[in-house]
Order: sequence, then structure tokens, then C-alpha cells
Amino acid sequence: MAPLLLYATCAVGAVGLYLILRPGAKSIRMAGVLIGLAAAIALGLGLLKTAAGTITPFDSTTAPTGSDGPSTLFTGLFCLIAVASAVRMITHRRPVYVALYFVLVVVSSAGLFLLLQAEFMAFALVIVYAGAILITYLFVLMLAQQAESEDDLRALAEYDRVPREPATAVVVGLIMVAVLSDALFGLGADGQPRPGGPRGQVLAAEASAAEWRLLDQIPRSRDAAVRALVPDYREVVLTDNRAITVRGGTAFVTIVDGEGVTRDVALPPSAAPTNTEQVGLALVAEFPVSLELAGVILTMAMFGAVVLARRQAELGEDQRREAAGLRRLTVDGPDGADRSDGSDGWGDESALLDDSRSTRRPRG
Amino acid sequence: MISSAATSAFALPTSLLASAGAAGGLPGSIPGGIALVLLLSAALFAIGLIGFLVRRNMILMFLCTELMFQAAALAMVAFGRLHMDVSGQVFVIFILTVAAAEAALALGLVVLLYRRRETLNAEAWSELRE
Repeated sequence: MAPLLLYATCAVGAVGLYLILRPGAKSIRMAGVLIGLAAAIALGLGLLKTAAGTITPFDSTTAPTGSDGPSTLFTGLFCLIAVASAVRMITHRRPVYVALYFVLVVVSSAGLFLLLQAEFMAFALVIVYAGAILITYLFVLMLAQQAESEDDLRALAEYDRVPREPATAVVVGLIMVAVLSDALFGLGADGQPRPGGPRGQVLAAEASAAEWRLLDQIPRSRDAAVRALVPDYREVVLTDNRAITVRGGTAFVTIVDGEGVTRDVALPPSAAPTNTEQVGLALVAEFPVSLELAGVILTMAMFGAVVLARRQAELGEDQRREAAGLRRLTVDGPDGADRSDGSDGWGDESALLDDSRSTRRPRG
Repeated sequence: MISSAATSAFALPTSLLASAGAAGGLPGSIPGGIALVLLLSAALFAIGLIGFLVRRNMILMFLCTELMFQAAALAMVAFGRLHMDVSGQVFVIFILTVAAAEAALALGLVVLLYRRRETLNAEAWSELRE
């Protein structure tokens, strides 16, 4: 029953989107906005319902499944901003505003990344996407648009104002959302998750253990953390190239300290590798080939852009006359010999007038 | 007072969906609290798809494909968070790379096409003849 209700809410949202899209009176578009907003909020709230009972949407401390998931209020807020900006993006008449609303989508997406504990990706998204790719789009948009006045809406290009087959597109989008949400939420006929669907709840304690073990692959950071605690330590005891053990949520390093005593030192939580370090380590340690390939792709794109933007080279006068089969203006003949007696290798110019120019060969 | 009124206003659709939900409901099948983000990813992808089909300006069509890239990146990071694996974020870096390369080349092509016909209308090229 629940998937059907999900599809029904999506259908209501799709109807709202269609009402916004079609070129009609402003009141129809406003009605579409309200319907779409209601569907989005109902969808979000229905999703937040757990089996244990309803949760209040203003309680930011209760995660949907009781684990330490991202804060519900902020997640919902960012999701709403993202969807609203995306809808405004596909319905706006002016292309530059479309690009600006996409910047808003990217920023709310970066906020969601922050909530999902991916700080590096949040910053990288804002810098690369909003800061580079979208600026390029804005430049090209401003380059390729005819100038239009502020008030005369009819001066806007017709291909920006009138959408192309909005009904079909909305139906296709609705089917896409239905299929994707069915695949994501994976409920079978009996309402239980299908095998092979997303599962695997990872507890926070396990996760931090995996993060601590990454520190073994950055031995300098590990040794620096140990040195901060025990300045005169002699060496770190390694078993199977690993020095860090995690017991009860705290990481311990076995060291031989200044007096020659082998003991365990507890590392403070601040010594754990940050998200940026984890991403960097994974890039270099687990995906080096992909990293190199990404560089190759970027180089290819650069070459492609240069080739596409190449203009016809301005030929000098000599090359142009040569291409036309005329005598060069300089005294050097076609074979490069210096002919200071005035004769060149091309014959005389009176043969210009006959049509067999293509059969001319250097004579003399 | 306002929050309680708003809460009671939200209670009706929530209870409606709750009563019709199966045991465990929709978010119960996805742990880690990422259900909302995954639904957002699906919605953004569909909106990008609709925008691509509806728009006639060539540059804006490519902008809607960038929206679809964004949705895919969201889904990857969400699943990376679910499994506490940083590989999701690493792959988002590669997605960003491909998106940047594709944007550069696509915009170059669009500018060349614009020079030919003096219009950004995609339907100006619907017939493949001079």
C-alpha cells in the first residue's frame, strides 16, 4: 500500500509541475506552485514517519531510524530548497536566472553533503561546480544571447518562453521518479525489503574504528600524534604493519617509550584522519589509475576546446598568392633558390587568365 | 503556541501516510537516515530530465544535464555515508571531472552552432540539411 501512496503523491506533484510549465495565466501557475509544494511537503513528512509513531518535524534531534543520521530539520530544509530551485530552474524564462538558480541547487546540495559528513566534497562542489562550471555557462549564455530590454517580455526569445511538449515530459518524469523510488525503497509484495536492496546499518562505533585504522596508512600523522603525547618515545610497535588498535571506541598505539617500557598510548579524538585526508588517501591508495585517467580526460577536453575554438589562420600575402598559383612577391622561387635576376620559378603572369590554373607547374 | 498549531496541521497528512504505511514504513528499509536524500536525488534527476525535454535553448538543455549529474553525485555520497566508505565521495570527484570536461566541449560546440544559425533554438537544427 505504501508504494502506491508514494506514487500518488508524486503524481500530484507532477500535476503541479505541469501547471507551472505550461504557458498560461499567472493564477494557474500559482495554483501549480501550491499543489507542487503541498505534494513535496507531504512526501517529505510521510517519509519521516517511522513504525514507532509520528515524529514532530521541528524536532531536529530525532533521526528517522534512531541512529545518528543527519539532522532531520536541516535535511528537510535543504531538500526543499533544492527542489524549489530545480523547479524554478526549468521554468524560468530568462536563461541567466536559470544558471543562478542552478547555483542555488548546488549550494543546497553542498549543505546536504555537509550533513552527510562529506566536508571535502561540499567545498569541492562549491569551488568546482558553482565556481568554475557555472561561471563558464554564464559566460557562454551572455555571449550567445541577443540583448533584450527589461520590460518588453515579447522581446525574449520565443524558444525560452514556450516549453516544448510539457505534458509528455512531465509524464516521463513521473515514471522516472516512480521507478527510481521503487528501486531505492525496494518494497516487495509483502511490504518487506527485497533482497539485494540497500541494507547494512553501520554503527557509529564501527565506523570510527575503520577511520582510525586509516591512520596506519598515514604513518607520519600517526607518529606526530604519538610524539605530541609522548615526546621521547623510541619506536612504535608494529604488528602486520599496523600499530593502532581500537578498543571501546578509543584508539591505542603500542609504543616503546623513553624508558624502554612497552605500553599503550590512547590517541585523542582530534588525531583521527579528517574527511579530506580520507578522501586523499583513498584517491591515491585505492584509485590511482582512475586519478590518472581523470587527468587524461581533462587534457582531452582542453585539446578539444582549443580545436573547436580555432579560427582560420590569417595567411600572409605570400602564402595567399602561392595558394592561388601566382608569383610570390619575394625573389625566392618555389625551390628556395635565390633568383636575383628577377625570374622566378612560376612562369609569367599572363597565364593567370586561362582557366587551366590548376595544371600550372613551376617552370624554369 | 505557533509550533504546536503547525505541528497539529502537519499531523493530518503525516498520520494519513502513517496509517497506510507497512510495518517499518518506507524509511525503515533504508537505515542511516539517508532516505530523504535518496528521494531528493530521484526527484532532482526527474526534474532535470523534464527540463531537458522541455527546454529548447541549447545551453539550458545542457544545464539540465548538469542537474542530473548533481542528482547522481548526491546519491553516491548518500550511499557512501550509508556504508561508511569514502569511495562514494571519490567517485563524485570523478563525476565532477567528467562533468567539467563535458561542459567545456558542449559549450564549445554550442557556440559554433550559434555562429552558424544565429539562434540558440535546438529546433533550428531539427532538419539535417544546410
